[in-house]
Amino acid sequence: MSGPGVGWYLIVAALLFGTGALGVMLRRSPLIVLLSLEIMLNAANLTLIAFARQHGSLDGQVFALVVMGVAAAEVAIGLGLIVAMARRRLPLDVDQASALRG
Amino acid sequence: MTYGAWICLLSPLAGALAITLAGERISRRAAGWISTLTTFAAFGGALVAFGALWARDHGDRQELSTAYTWLSVGDFEVGMEILVDPLASVMMLVVSGVGGLIVWYSMGYMAGDDEERRFFAYMSLFVFSMLLLVQAGNFLLLLAGWGLVGLASYLLIGFWHHRAEAVAAAKKAFVMNAIGDATFMLAAVLLVWETGTLEYLGVFEEVGGLSDTTVTLVALGLLGGAVAKSAQVPLHTWLPDAMEGPTPVSALIHAATMVTAGVYLLVRAHPIFEAAVEVQQLAAILGAVTLLVAGVIALVQWDIKRVIAYSTMSQIGYMFLGAGIGAYGFAIFHLLTHAFFKALLFLAAGVVIHHLADEQDIRRMGGLKDELPRTHVAFLIGTLALVGIPPFAGFWSKDAILAATVESGGALGWTLFLAGLAGTVLTGAYAFRLYFAVFHGPRGEAAAAHAGHGEGPRSMLVPVGALAGLSVVGGLVSIPGVWHPFTSWVDETGEPLVEPVASLEYLVSAIAVALGLVGVWLARRAFLADRQLVTSPEAWRVLEHKLYFDELYDALFYRPAEAISAGLLHNVEEPVVERSLDEIGSGTIQAGGGVARLQSGLLRSYAVAVAVAVVVLVVVFVAVR
Repeated sequence: MSGPGVGWYLIVAALLFGTGALGVMLRRSPLIVLLSLEIMLNAANLTLIAFARQHGSLDGQVFALVVMGVAAAEVAIGLGLIVAMARRRLPLDVDQASALRG
Repeated sequence: MTYGAWICLLSPLAGALAITLAGERISRRAAGWISTLTTFAAFGGALVAFGALWARDHGDRQELSTAYTWLSVGDFEVGMEILVDPLASVMMLVVSGVGGLIVWYSMGYMAGDDEERRFFAYMSLFVFSMLLLVQAGNFLLLLAGWGLVGLASYLLIGFWHHRAEAVAAAKKAFVMNAIGDATFMLAAVLLVWETGTLEYLGVFEEVGGLSDTTVTLVALGLLGGAVAKSAQVPLHTWLPDAMEGPTPVSALIHAATMVTAGVYLLVRAHPIFEAAVEVQQLAAILGAVTLLVAGVIALVQWDIKRVIAYSTMSQIGYMFLGAGIGAYGFAIFHLLTHAFFKALLFLAAGVVIHHLADEQDIRRMGGLKDELPRTHVAFLIGTLALVGIPPFAGFWSKDAILAATVESGGALGWTLFLAGLAGTVLTGAYAFRLYFAVFHGPRGEAAAAHAGHGEGPRSMLVPVGALAGLSVVGGLVSIPGVWHPFTSWVDETGEPLVEPVASLEYLVSAIAVALGLVGVWLARRAFLADRQLVTSPEAWRVLEHKLYFDELYDALFYRPAEAISAGLLHNVEEPVVERSLDEIGSGTIQAGGGVARLQSGLLRSYAVAVAVAVVVLVVVFVAVR
């Protein structure tokens, strides 16, 4: 097996995941939150593929494909929600969408 | 041979289904005819089966016919099977024959009732259930029929559901019978446990190998079922109340067929009872007690149907006596003649009640001899047969049982014999008290008020006439010393333990007839002196309360149960269950309020919480490693 070791991939994935997590926690625009979520998912995908390569099996890759499918579905719903919010002229700010406060 | 038996079993079921499914699309009269004709079709099937059985050789008269396997659990199998043997064939003939006549009679009696179709559907259901009971080839099917006749009886006693007494009587009958059904069920379970089969023949083969305790318990369970179904002491109190049902129901279910199912069971399961002698003797003793208890209570009743109901209990007591000492043929013989003359008495009483526009109190009757001449003759025949005056049917069968008690001997035999003789006096007295009160003397109030209803339509009179004829000649199928085709026919199913010689039978008969005539003379004397048979007011009060059985059960079972329930309500339900449930509810609400504060509604704080939780978990896992 050639190329960088699996550790490098994991480092990149961790960086990506941290970026995404920070985005979700810090940004208030729902679009950006959604985008950050995608970054987190792809960080997970990267680790899956990296380990799949290391073990020489296709299982991880198959799973990554599934994750992509789920992500696509999730984005469709998330964007739909954002469009619905925009149409009703609600503020596009996750902090202000707090009707479910207990 | 068996196809006749299957026709016999299934045609009343077809009738019940047809009437139920057709609903209001057929006329009430058509419903009556469907019920009547399917019951007579069953009689035809029974005749075919009987004829085929007759043609066979002695000793070969038994055939099990299995339609399919009903239940299969491991090695245990129960088939949908019927057993055709001499005993079953006799019962099939009685049930479908007498049943057909009574259903026919009901067409006249029930004409104009609001819900005739329902009535006839129930009647057909009952006939089917009773035929299932007597034809079943194993104990489970017998139990199924046993339960179904109980259901049909419940439905028909409470047929006039707008009358509170009828509904209460139906419930009482059902509950008392449920006690018997439960003991029967336990016996069946024990049989499966110990022998692994419920088929009669299989069980009877295994009986010899069972322990005494098991056999006794099984026999006791079966006896419990028989006692409840046949209204014997101590489970007898439902039968008089069951007279709230329409009169044809009383005739069919509570005189001719269902209440004699207990006798059938005693004879059918005789190998079990023979293996548990004490239980068999207990059956005889209970029969003797019942025939006396019912006989004395019948002396003071005012309701025409209740008098006949008590006399039914008393006569079934004789049958239990016969079956209990092992005179199976005689017990079934008495069952046969009793079905004739008791159905006749009920149907004739029904004509009287019909004529007087539902009046049942004999104090308001009297002098009906001239208004209802044919009914008078029929009723007299039934009464003579009941008392056992020769040559009427009851004479041959009752005296045969009495002779068998003497033959069985010992202190028990003689005690039972004396009880039976005392019962004969009582029978003569209460039967003729009723006869005189209804048909003789001055015209009663009700008779004067409703004169002119007549004796009813032909559909009522023909069955009464047919049963009167049978009550006259029905006993001639077994004459001691001359011929006894009937008893030897039944003996093929249950070899009798006692067989009195003809001379003994004639001697006993002479005593019994003399005592019966004493009873008649007592009734006649009391009637002419215009007083009651029981003159002591204390005795009258005790008898009027039916020896306080109802009061006793009320005090023993109902009141304690009510007190326990009330105690549980006030001490457990309200303080413990209710309050704790309330507290669980309010506690949950409070806890929910506390947890709800955590829900800030801020999406980003949730994300932070998740992230922190993941980090904490990772740290914990790593640390634990």
